[in-house]
Amino acid sequence: MSKFSHIYIEERAAIYPVAQQVLSRFPGSTRVMIRHYKDVFNRPRQDFRRQKASTKLILAVKPEPFLYPGPEVCEDFGSQNFYYTSPVLNCIYDCDYCYLQGLYTSANIVIFVNIEEFFKAVDRQLESGPLYLCPSYDTDLLALEGIVPYASRWIEFAGTRQGLRIELRSKSANYGAIAHLKPVEQVILAWSLSPSEVARRCERLAPPLKARLKAIMSALQDGWQVRLCFEPLLKVYNWEQVYREFLDEVFSVIPAGRVLDANIGVFRMSKEQFKRISKLRSDTDVFAFPMVCHEGGVVTYEDEKELRDFFYRQLNKYLPKEKIYG
Amino acid sequence: MIYIVTALPCESSPFVEKYHLKRDGCRYFPLYRGDGMSLIVSGVGKMASAIATTYLLAQNLKPGQAEEEEGLAIINIGVCGAFHQRHPIGTPVLIHKVMDHETGKQYFPDILIEHPFKEGSVETHNNVVRREDVLSGRVELQADLVDMEASGFFQAASRFLAPHQIYVIKVVGDYLDVVDFDRQRVAQCISDTLDAVEGFIKQVEGLCRAEGDVLTQDERRQLEAAKESLRLTVTQGHQLMDMARRYKLRTGRPLPDLSEFIQTDVKVKAEGKKVLERIRRLLLYE
Ligand code: SF4
Repeated sequence: MSKFSHIYIEERAAIYPVAQQVLSRFPGSTRVMIRHYKDVFNRPRQDFRRQKASTKLILAVKPEPFLYPGPEVCEDFGSQNFYYTSPVLNCIYDCDYCYLQGLYTSANIVIFVNIEEFFKAVDRQLESGPLYLCPSYDTDLLALEGIVPYASRWIEFAGTRQGLRIELRSKSANYGAIAHLKPVEQVILAWSLSPSEVARRCERLAPPLKARLKAIMSALQDGWQVRLCFEPLLKVYNWEQVYREFLDEVFSVIPAGRVLDANIGVFRMSKEQFKRISKLRSDTDVFAFPMVCHEGGVVTYEDEKELRDFFYRQLNKYLPKEKIYG
Repeated sequence: MIYIVTALPCESSPFVEKYHLKRDGCRYFPLYRGDGMSLIVSGVGKMASAIATTYLLAQNLKPGQAEEEEGLAIINIGVCGAFHQRHPIGTPVLIHKVMDHETGKQYFPDILIEHPFKEGSVETHNNVVRREDVLSGRVELQADLVDMEASGFFQAASRFLAPHQIYVIKVVGDYLDVVDFDRQRVAQCISDTLDAVEGFIKQVEGLCRAEGDVLTQDERRQLEAAKESLRLTVTQGHQLMDMARRYKLRTGRPLPDLSEFIQTDVKVKAEGKKVLERIRRLLLYE
């Protein structure tokens, strides 16, 4: 059955303009009124994989809290007061390694329609100092821009606030959807990049590397600050050569001097998530390599350091060390 | 395997005929079995439906089987009432929301497949709802359809199965205006939907088919033999299967020959553990 064949709508969410906007984009979808999004999203024994093949939308109103402190495992790029927020849960892409499949029991996409309340929460937080915020955290907002225009809403909001910096991370090639906006100093557009082979094999439904590079180029030409995220680095056959050639390809298109910064992250995940996802995903080799569990319950490759150091050295040929995080 | 729950014998008879189901010797319920299908007649009411559904699934599912058995799903089929005359009598409706009138609880099946039906919601009541109850305001309806089983059925089935394995199909039988209950008419209503239901069942079986294991039958047999001869604990057994699957996913090759290990006849469990360690090295580091 086609994507978004059904839209579940919390009774109290229906009156929000964002809900009306989303509904108007899917006039043929079956609408089902619900009391609370968790009645659908948190049902027991849902099948994440099967739901991915026919994802539904859920429109809901998020109660407090709106902002969460950034977790230790995520890079804060030297920023104080690192927070994340989730105006949308789940993603239209289907990456083999995605941690969301171990985090949520459902693959359906929840859109919280009370975006203004998220903004108010940011304003409250800004009263106690500058804030570094990731609103594209449990999702890919740019990829969803055609369904709900939250990437542009966040950009417009951030542009009017002092002391706020936001990172919008994406794998999308959908830059065209926000190209009409003026670049905003407070906003970093971040793209996650993987070698073509990895993207093709492990990042189902996400655009190929070339398309992402083209989007980045357009953003740079328009004057946006662009961050490159080399995360997760995955083990593949002949990985040294694959990742070396990958960086050559990236920087044959992207002028390194124009990039704001970059981060490196070898594939890692909490022990519980790893256990849960690896059970679900017997169709990919992502979870099949020898792993170790470090202190704090984080699982990664046994030779994580080797991978990271090799990649760092290669990246350092293009970017100075002050611009490389992770 | 498709499990079917109906409230009344007249709702079940069209299935019994079409699928050549045979009466089982069950003492507690009218229970019928056939090729890839079992049907139980629960009796009227949500409690009766919950009990029959639980009986059917608990009797037939072994632990862990719900995920593994080919095309496993359960369907509640029966007639229902409708207040609004939007759907003609005899229209089958696939339910996307089940509401329990008494408890206020709501249940949602996952509709992941294309189907030929109209969709709608059903509200399950303990008592028969009549048109005049609604007109007089004594009963306030929130759903499109009214029945007496769906919420009990759904609640029971979801203890065992995933929401994409549980379906409710209600056939509009009246507009809450029944004076004399006519069994034949009910049977006819159900009969008329059988072709559509048959196509739907095929779709459901396709969706619910277990995904293939990377291990072949031979490989699984080999690993089972290794587990036994090495006297592995249950946890060690799981580890061995897990390592084997990961080996195949990573290398894309068949499992290496493990017969050398299978022939090792261990006397004490500690020896088995040592051999398992050797297998681990072979499977994880090649
Ligand atoms: S793009 Fe990110 S959030 Fe979306 S599926 Fe891939 S890893 Fe998950």
